[in-house]
Order: sequence, then C-alpha cells, then structure tokens
Amino acid sequence: MSWVPAHSGWLAGALMLWLVLWAASVMLARREGRGVRLVVPVLFGLSLLVLWEGIVRAWAVAPVILPAPSVIAAKIAASGPVLWQDFAQTILKGAVPGFLIGAGAAFAVAILIDRSPFLQRGLLPVGNFVAALPIVGLAPILVMWFGFDWQSKAAVVVVMVFFPMLVNIVAGLQASERMQRDLMATWGASYLQTLLRLRLPAAMPFVFNGLKIASTLALIGAIVAEFFGSPIYGMGFRISTEVGRLGLDMVWAEIAVAALAGSVFYGLIALIERGVTFWHPSQRK
Amino acid sequence: MKRLITAAFLAAAATSASAEDVKLQLKWVTQSQFAGYYVAQAKGFYEEEGLNVTILPGGPDIAPTQVIAGGGADVMVDWMPAALAAREKGLPLVNIAQPFASSGMMLTCLKETGITSPADFADKTLGVWFFGNEFPFLSWMSQLGLKTDGSPGGVTVLKQGFNVDPLLQKQAACISTMTYNEYWQVIDAGIAPEDLVTFKYEDQGVATLEDGLYVLEDRLADPAFQETMVKFVRASMKGWKYAEANPDEAAMIVLENDQTGAQTETHQKRMMGEIAKLTAGSNGALDVAAAERTVASLLSGGSDPVITKAPEGAWTSVITDKALAE
Amino acid sequence: MNRALPVLTVLLGILAIWYAAAVWMNATWVFDQAERAGTTVTWAEAIPQTMAQERPLLPPPHQVGAELWKGLFGQAVTSKRSLVYHGYVTFKGTMMGFGLGIVAGVLLAMAIVRFRVMDMGLMPWAIISQTIPIVALAPMIITLSSQLGLTARDVPKAIIAAYLSFFPVLVSMVKGLRSPDQMQLDLLKTYGAGEMATFLKLRLPASMPYFFASLKVAVAASLVGTIVGELPTGAIEGLGARMLIGSQFGEPLIMWAALFAAAILAGLLIVVVGVVERLAARRMGVRA
Repeated sequence: MSWVPAHSGWLAGALMLWLVLWAASVMLARREGRGVRLVVPVLFGLSLLVLWEGIVRAWAVAPVILPAPSVIAAKIAASGPVLWQDFAQTILKGAVPGFLIGAGAAFAVAILIDRSPFLQRGLLPVGNFVAALPIVGLAPILVMWFGFDWQSKAAVVVVMVFFPMLVNIVAGLQASERMQRDLMATWGASYLQTLLRLRLPAAMPFVFNGLKIASTLALIGAIVAEFFGSPIYGMGFRISTEVGRLGLDMVWAEIAVAALAGSVFYGLIALIERGVTFWHPSQRK
Repeated sequence: MKRLITAAFLAAAATSASAEDVKLQLKWVTQSQFAGYYVAQAKGFYEEEGLNVTILPGGPDIAPTQVIAGGGADVMVDWMPAALAAREKGLPLVNIAQPFASSGMMLTCLKETGITSPADFADKTLGVWFFGNEFPFLSWMSQLGLKTDGSPGGVTVLKQGFNVDPLLQKQAACISTMTYNEYWQVIDAGIAPEDLVTFKYEDQGVATLEDGLYVLEDRLADPAFQETMVKFVRASMKGWKYAEANPDEAAMIVLENDQTGAQTETHQKRMMGEIAKLTAGSNGALDVAAAERTVASLLSGGSDPVITKAPEGAWTSVITDKALAE
Repeated sequence: MNRALPVLTVLLGILAIWYAAAVWMNATWVFDQAERAGTTVTWAEAIPQTMAQERPLLPPPHQVGAELWKGLFGQAVTSKRSLVYHGYVTFKGTMMGFGLGIVAGVLLAMAIVRFRVMDMGLMPWAIISQTIPIVALAPMIITLSSQLGLTARDVPKAIIAAYLSFFPVLVSMVKGLRSPDQMQLDLLKTYGAGEMATFLKLRLPASMPYFFASLKVAVAASLVGTIVGELPTGAIEGLGARMLIGSQFGEPLIMWAALFAAAILAGLLIVVVGVVERLAARRMGVRA
C-alpha cells in the first residue's frame, strides 16, 4: 500500500465534508434540547463514515480488506432476509433467553441467600472472582454439552450473565440505609414488606447497572459461541464463514446489525431504568 | 507509541530492501500437515537457496487469502476451492505449486445411524467445516441432488467446530474429517473403526485439490519475485520429500516449532504418516487434469455453484518448470 | 464467624456439585462403550470409570488439578509446555492492552469532559463500540495492522485487549473528572485559577478514586480480550492458544487446565491492582 493516495479528489472531498459535519456538530452542541442530544451523535457517526468512505476510495483499498460504508449499506439493503434469519437465531433465540434466564437465576439466588449472611459472605467473594474470569473460554465446552443449536449459545450467555448480575443484586439489596430499615421495623413491617417496599426499590440502581453490563456480555457470548459450532445461520456463523469467503461486506453488515441490536438492547434497559429509578439522584434533571 | 510506529516503519523498510525474505502463511496451526515447510527450514534447505523464510501459522480466524491480500504474506498454503472462490471475488490468486497430490478429506459416519452409502444422507445431520472449507462438501451435495438448507429430503448441515465432538455426542450422523487428523481423534476417543463408515472424497470422485502454494498474480510479473519463488518451491519440495522419507524426524521438527506446547508426539507422528500418503507422487508440479476436475466439480453446483465460470490463469507452471529443471 | 469459613463452605459445595456432575455426565460414555462392547456395567462399576477418562465430558476436579499442577510445576518455566510460560505470554499481552486501554480511556474522558461536542457526539459511540463483538473484528484488526507494517502478532492482541479495557476507564474517569461540585469549582474560580490549574489541582485529584476503582474491571476485561485475541490470531502461544489446541485435538484436560491457569492469572492481577488501589488511596489521604 502506497502512502500517497491514488484518488486524492475523494480524500479532499471527504475531508471537506467531514469538516462541515464536524463544524455543524460543534455549533449544535452549544444548544440545548432533546433533539440536539440525538442529532449530534448521529452527525458524529456520519462524519466518521464519510472519512472512512473517503479513505477507502482515495487509496483504492481492496474490498477484501476493508469495504466502503456505501458498499456495506448496499449489502445490508440487499440481504434483509439473511440478516433477519441470523438476527433471530443469535439474538432472539440465543442472547435474549440466555439473558433472561441468567438474570432471573441471579435474582432468585440473591433472594434465596438474602436471609443467610453466612452464604452471602461465602458466595460474594467467589461470585466477584468468577465475574472477572474469561468465561468465554467455556464456550467450546458448553457447545459440546448442549449441542450446536441455540441452546448452547443461550447456555454460554447464562453463565456469562449470572455472576455479574448476582454480585450487583446482592450489593443492591444491602444498599438501603440502617436508618431506613429501622424505620420499617418500627412500623412493624415484615421481612417481605421491607424487601418489597424498601430494599428492592433501593437495589434497583445496582440491578440496572448489572443489566447494562450483562446486555453487552450477552451479545458477545452468543456470537462467540457460534464460532465453536452452529447451524448454518446465525450472526457468528455468518461472520466467521464470510471472512473465509472474503465476503467482507457481509461481515460488516452483520457487525452493523450487532451494533444496532446491542444499542437498542442497552437503550431499552436505560429507558426502563429511568422509569423505575426516577427517584435516584443520577436520574434527576 | 511513537517509537513503536518508527520501529514498524523500519521493519517494513527492511523487508522491502531484501528481496530474499519470504513470508509463508499457513492454512492452519502448526502441525504435520505443513511438515515439508518446517523441515525445509530446520534442515537449512531454504538457507541453501539464500532464502530467509518466516512461517506464519494460521488459526480459526485467519483467512490466508485475506492475509495475502493485505500484504501480510508473500505466499500461502490453501485449498484450491477457496483460492478459486477468492479469485472470483477479485483477488487474483495463482497456484504455483501443488505438493499434495491427493485429497485427505472424508465424511465419517457412525454405523449405528444406518448410513451405508451417500444415498442414505437424506434427512441426516452432517457436520462440515466452514471458513472456506465448505466448498468441496457443497458441490458434492449438489451433485448428489441433496439440498443443504434443512428442507425435507435434503440434509441438515451443522457447522462443526475444531474437533470431533459432534460425532461423539451424537449431534451429527456424520462429520467432516481429514484422513490425517480428525479421523484418528474419533478412533482415539474409543470408537472402533468397524463402528464407523467413511466416505473419502477421493473415492466418491468429488475430490478437490488441497494444500497448494498460491501467490498474487501481479507480483508474479516481477522476475525477481519469480526467481525467489522458484527457489522457495524447490527448497519446499526438497523439504516435503525429506519429510516423506523420514516421517518420524519430520514430526519431531514440527513439534519443536509448535509454540503452544500442547501438541503431542503421538498425534504428530501419526499425522505425518498419513500426510506422506497424500504428498506421495507429487513433485510439486500441478496436475492440470486434477485442477480441471476441481474446477468442474465446483462449477457443477446446481443452483448455487461455488464458482460461476471457469477461471483463467488460476494456475501456472512457470515456477515449477524452472524449479524442477535441474 | 471469620471470613474464610463461609467461602470455604461455598467452595466445598461447588466441589461436591462438580463431582456429582462429572459422574453423571461421564457415565453416559461408560455405558455407551459397554453397550458397544456388548457387556453391561453397574453404577458401582461405572463411577470409578467416570473419574479417570482420557476425554471426559466434564473432568473431575482432581484430574484438572493434576494437569494444572503438571503444567505449572512439572516443567521448567521456560519450557513451552509450561503453563507458567504461556501465562506469562498472556500476561504480557494483557499488560500491553491494559496500558493502551488506560491511556485511551483517560484521554477520551478528558476530551469528553472538556468539549461538549465530544460529550454529546462521542459518548454514545463509546457505548455502541462495546456492543460490537470484538471477535468479529479480530481478523480485520490483524490484516489492517499488517497492512500498516505491524506484523508482530502481539499488536493485534493488544489492540483487542485495549478495545475491551478502555471502556470502564473512560466511564469512571468521566464520572470522576465531573465529581467536584459547583462550590469547589467556584472556589477555584475565586482563586483566579485557569482551566489548566482547575484541571490539575481539582478535577484530576478528585477523579483518582474513580480511576483506581475502574482498574480492576479494566484489567479483567483486558485479560478476556487477550485470551479472545490469542484464540483466533494465529494461535501461536499463550493460554488462549492452548485452549484452542486443546479443543481441536480433543484434549479436554489441556483446555480445563488452561482455563484454570487463566483464572489464577485473573485472580493475581485483581489482587495486585487492589493493592495498588489501596496504596494509592492511602497516599492520597483517604481512609481505607
């Protein structure tokens, strides 16, 4: 690859457009309002895409190395059904059930051990440790156990999600203050009442923090697990197969879908969080 | 960071200064499948030719075609179907030598599934490698008239990982195996050969050419590069023939080069023995008839052929003619 | 009740479940083999056989322990069969990625806190970046870096590790740099402090607890990134490469041993970072 661009016109044009977009974002960023909060990141992303397109065209980068965004967009438009099938297999069947089971199990265990400080003291350090482990390494083993279809992908997600969630929920359940708990006691509240009215709501910021971490883990887990065996559809399958076939435009199309799905997933959790934890300082405007 | 970049520049400059540096990208991890190259290096065959060869192992996420397209290697080991498919994608790869005369690929089935001939594949689950290795399988299936999309009457295809577990766990009726590797892992796992049914691609008449040496077409126009490749192929073939004659020594050389330290002597010696059967009879020159058979097999893919038209200039004897002249 | 007892109880519980699962999962194979051989085995005969298979579905703890011991202490640490050696390779990659990740995270956080447009434009993309499966990018990172002349395989590995580890640092640093309240900022203004002075004297020191708190998460993420990077990028050496080879050649013991070696490494890294965090906190006058 030569350092001198072959088509410098493309580079100059892209740079100019990039500058314009950038200046527009800077100007917009000075303003207030909800719209601005949405427009600026979009402009920012657009400016990066423009730069990418310009670089690819200017140096005539081979499409088998890095396809231009326009090529990727065309591929996305042309392969809707395939992308949807992969999305359904990996996200809807693998990541989402795994996420729900993992988070649900963590919740159940956290409540179960809530009344036993002994178990808590035992499980928390272990959970903290396991949460930091490269669980991804378990993927080939779980594929061997649960077969090649979505069940094994969901299993990987469950294991990846469980410990970070457990640690966060247990920490959250301890988040209410002594004084608040004493107050509940003076009102004669039972354990269940205290749990439902005080401690669970107080735990929510921690729970949502855990859910956000878990949402990205779920996606990575479901996709990585497909590398170790899968049916002939699914996002991880498509990515690894198309790299081998030099179909890089398809690889990037899948990456775009993954990023979009991940962002929507994350956004949904953030939205629910705002509804549930409206009282928390971090949510007040 | 700055120092890192400078160092990288210097390294790049040094590579282009000396024409006799050769980077070889392997198709997979260090194992006896590539013994010839490791032997040529360890025995000094490359050195005798004045070459400084760097052997780059592959892995599950490394497509040799992509590495060579990115300039990360000068020459690569790959299977012809993958190379031809890449050529159709606009990456002009050319076969310059073919150390493997026969194919080692087969489908291995459990006898208890009742499969006795390819006609029994219908409605069964078959394990296949993807990542460019699926092409021979897909064209075989379309020749058999079996759909691979899981529809009734066709076959259900599963992407198998890097081991034989799908067969052992009975998740698939048959899996892809190589005569020199996975087949023996099935045996090692305690399944007797008489409990297995195997279909060699070679016997089914659907064999495609495996491990060959490929370079980019435009670089081949450079006489200096041609000269380097002649030396490289000559030394590599010397390495292969040595490995064929001394399989145990070759396997040990491979083991020394395995940096993971996880490979075992038993596996590698046995693999070398099987590999020697595949390289036997090849002096490095490509058998054009075999190459054309490969093309024909790939073209006959029915509705979804692996390649859509016969390639032109996908192989050349320029290098092997010179390399084998003396 | 001291701290060790509950942890030990839980660990013993896990061990018991593990053994039970090993018997249950490995038994299928024993019975299958017996059926192929035309004999029958009772459970009493089967259980010892589940404990010592060469390719167990789930190796019992003592088998993994023995393999781990062999890998860690059974050979010279410089041998390529030594898990210490491979652990060191992985450790090096982790540290490179960790360093890169810290630098990137801190610089981006500074830009985000300083420039409003970066805050609004970049922050959402930083979150989106973490939803992209890094393994999908690995082959591209390798080819692109070789395109730029960086052929050493540690570079892509470090980039992947940095990609995962910069995010926690970024998030915590943004929070930390913004942690001084208005009163403190006003006070510095009355002192006539400029932006630079405010940053150095107030924002930066105030962010330190947040910074150190993020390091534990970042180092764990970096280790995950390195192992994921070792798996596909040439599988030359390191714990990730051993996991791959173990998987390919059907040697579950090698895989499990590498997995536990990775766990030990993770534990060590977290302890070291924790000590650094405590030392730093003490030096900065925070009561631990």
